[in-house]
Amino acid sequence: MKKYLKRIIIVLIIAFIGIQFIPRTYNLRDTFSENDISKTFDVPENIQLIFETSCYDCHSNNTEYPWYNKIQPVSYFMEDHITEGKEELNFSEIGSYSKRRLKSKLKSIISQIDDEEMPMFSYTIIHRDAILSEEEKEQIKDWVSENLNLLSK
Amino acid sequence: MKKSIYVLVVIALTFTACKNEQKTKDHNESESTEMHGNSDGHHDNDKEHVEENRSIETSSDKNSATSAMVDGYLEIKNGLVSDDKSAAAKGGKNLLNAFASFDMGSLTKEQHSEYMEIIENATEQAEHIVKSPIDHQREHFEVLSNDMNDLIALLGTEKTLYQDFCPMANNGKGAIWLSETKEIKNPFYGSKMMKCGKMQKQIN
Repeated sequence: MKKYLKRIIIVLIIAFIGIQFIPRTYNLRDTFSENDISKTFDVPENIQLIFETSCYDCHSNNTEYPWYNKIQPVSYFMEDHITEGKEELNFSEIGSYSKRRLKSKLKSIISQIDDEEMPMFSYTIIHRDAILSEEEKEQIKDWVSENLNLLSK
Repeated sequence: MKKSIYVLVVIALTFTACKNEQKTKDHNESESTEMHGNSDGHHDNDKEHVEENRSIETSSDKNSATSAMVDGYLEIKNGLVSDDKSAAAKGGKNLLNAFASFDMGSLTKEQHSEYMEIIENATEQAEHIVKSPIDHQREHFEVLSNDMNDLIALLGTEKTLYQDFCPMANNGKGAIWLSETKEIKNPFYGSKMMKCGKMQKQIN
């Protein structure tokens, strides 16, 4: 019995080392895309700062990775999560959205904040600075509604 | 020792295989968005005329091709009216199938670009309706109703529909929905406010 346990542990250790060689993909650009929200909308500095702190890691092409992303399988699952986030809403590509899509995305930003769905708990539990204060929530919602109204005119 | 190396190889291969699959999927998706981007690139300005809550002109070309889509949409609507999350989700699935099996060959070039834009957005709403709790289903249904309204204005329908308006929905800004019955049954609030709303227009 002891022998088996030892074998299993050895296998697990080797597997853990082995998966470190799986190539990692990174969602990292030095510069903001031309279609980034900051270049396609008139975004005040404080609003842009909130977007970058609380949203950009999963919803843009400019992720700031934590150190443990260098470890597999963390990297694998994180990248998967980011791909999904970017499919829903990508702040780096917002300028390329159709007007119709843009309007429904802006609407969703408001309802996600209202329903306290975003930024999600599993993210803010580590990124404490991403948590939105009540004041920040109002600032974001006001700015988004204002732009939504402009688009609907 | 030999055994553990085999295990390791299998694990590594599984991970790499998953990764590749993901990549192909991403690739396909980005390709289709690119295609879409190109096809409507020239029509950006034309789209400006598609306004929210646009009323539907009674269309003379009654299009049976949209029937499956309208059916899927109404199934979602009726699910929400009866506060039934899974019925709405099922309607969402049927709507997605109807979008997928629609023959785009019948569209003119101008129709095609507007159609693609509407479907892109409507598909996202339907996907969320399939997988979300009922409050979220209702939020996405608001957006979807606009898309369906525009889609019918674009392509026509052989069905008799009623465009209803609820002044309370959409954070008090109001929102429309489409119904097959004259009687008001509110899908945005269900049993909480069944009779809220008024009929704005009859289609066909």
